[in-house]
Amino acid sequence: MPFLSHSTPLPPSLLFHQKNYSQQESSKPEDAIHLTENCIRRMRELHAKEISGGEQMLRLSVETGGCSGFQYVFLLDDMQNPDDRVFEKDGVKLVVDNISYDFVKGSTVDYVEELIRSAFQLFSSKKWIGV
Amino acid sequence: MQRFSLRHSNWWNLNRVYFRVPSSTTAIASFHSGEEEPRNPNPNRPKTLRDVDGPLACLLKNRGVIRFDGPDTIKFLQGLLTNDVRSLAFQNGQGEIKSSSVPTPNQLLKYAPPVYSALLTPQGRFLYDLVLYRPPLPSEKLDRTGSGPGASSSSQSTPLFADVDASLLDELLDCLKKYRLRAKVEMEDMSKEYACWQCFGGNLSDKSSLDEEPDAASIGWGGSVDATGLSAAEGNNLGWRWYKDPRLTSLGFRGIFPSKTVPPLVESDKEVEEEHYLLWRLEKGVAEGSTEIPKGEAIPLEYNLAGLNAISFDKGCYVGQESVARTHHRGVIRKRLMPLKFVNKRDEEAEEKWVAPKSEVVDVKSDKKVGTVTTAMGCLGMGLVRVEDALFGGGLLGIRGEEDVRVKVIRPDWWPLEWVQQQQQQSATA
Repeated sequence: MPFLSHSTPLPPSLLFHQKNYSQQESSKPEDAIHLTENCIRRMRELHAKEISGGEQMLRLSVETGGCSGFQYVFLLDDMQNPDDRVFEKDGVKLVVDNISYDFVKGSTVDYVEELIRSAFQLFSSKKWIGV
Repeated sequence: MQRFSLRHSNWWNLNRVYFRVPSSTTAIASFHSGEEEPRNPNPNRPKTLRDVDGPLACLLKNRGVIRFDGPDTIKFLQGLLTNDVRSLAFQNGQGEIKSSSVPTPNQLLKYAPPVYSALLTPQGRFLYDLVLYRPPLPSEKLDRTGSGPGASSSSQSTPLFADVDASLLDELLDCLKKYRLRAKVEMEDMSKEYACWQCFGGNLSDKSSLDEEPDAASIGWGGSVDATGLSAAEGNNLGWRWYKDPRLTSLGFRGIFPSKTVPPLVESDKEVEEEHYLLWRLEKGVAEGSTEIPKGEAIPLEYNLAGLNAISFDKGCYVGQESVARTHHRGVIRKRLMPLKFVNKRDEEAEEKWVAPKSEVVDVKSDKKVGTVTTAMGCLGMGLVRVEDALFGGGLLGIRGEEDVRVKVIRPDWWPLEWVQQQQQQSATA
């Protein structure tokens, strides 16, 4: 799925949210990652196409690279790791590993269809800080 | 080592005192050490390297060694550093072909040349520089009997070594660890086990076509060169070898060797203090390390990092890439790091005058600032100077506050022609 391998620089506002990787911290409701209607619809479409029948999850991870140092990547994954956080809405699962979660908490995953590309995108609900 | 000591056995036991000068790092004042007052130069300090014959070698105490290991090493560094590091990732059977056609027990037939690169801030300012090396794996070399490859290691990844500014090594490691996230990369300080060496000067720079050390090139019987012996002589028995400096041919050779050993081909009377290497770089206008290239402030292109093969413009995204690519493709670089020579009014080398780093270079007539001294040692230095004023202005240059010091800006001979032509056209139209 070529559109999934696209990696995008992390929104600048999220770059400053890297805290100590405190796993004990209970996830506050405002730190949860939200899925939009578009995102859920697209995941359902992908599930419908899936021949194997396994319900694949959308994995969001943050990695090194990109112009500002970090970028996010979406992958379809059917494995869940012990350090993953799972966000579920209407049967669609988004998994984020603990380290990446510190960067993306409180943001929203959307699926946008544009002329230039159709892709999952990450939006931060917090106010963007210019670089 | 055997072949080498045959030639130099007379010198082998000489005390290493010939070119030794008392180590006086205080004499090398640099950009950021504001508290360093100009002081009397060390009388033994080298003045010029012009009359030195034969290549000199020195242990670079200012450089520490980091080891990267893990399956994600190349991907991790590729996303961070300014240069393309994929060339270091080759598997068996690829790599650059060496002139020697016969592999030797200690050396490879093919090897990856080292890569010079830098880590920038997201805004494109210089932070740290690294020279990355890929040591040969045992499975890529012949074993001691020469009859087959050495034992293959179980791990798939190849470790990489990097020489970095020793004073900021811990800071660099912290910075890299911040970027590591989930990448499978281990980084550790190996400065105790390994040291970085440079071999430069003499006729090394003239032999631009040769990829090998001149001393190594003389190995063999009369009239012919023993290619196998040559490649064996450049490395030690563990496969650590001299590489051509990835920046400039005239900088000679560089390599990482186990500490407390002297690299192959270093003659005992030609082992010198690091100041000689600084002097050599001052003459070429090549800065190195986060002190000479001010950390967090320096714009990489002004410090000529593109010309020193530190920046790849087609590798894709890395930290700070936007600013570097935009300036390179769209902008004009008005200021560049250039070698400076401090003379007095009678055009003699102003040995008694000691110019402090951070001094301003000014046009004597108009008193307009044209640049800043970044590094100085004796009558030589480097400074970030406006190219137009320095090369085409025609005015006398001096140091602000130092009435009797004149500054001569030298255009290094390794500079590409475009760097100067660009400015020439600008000043012609102005």
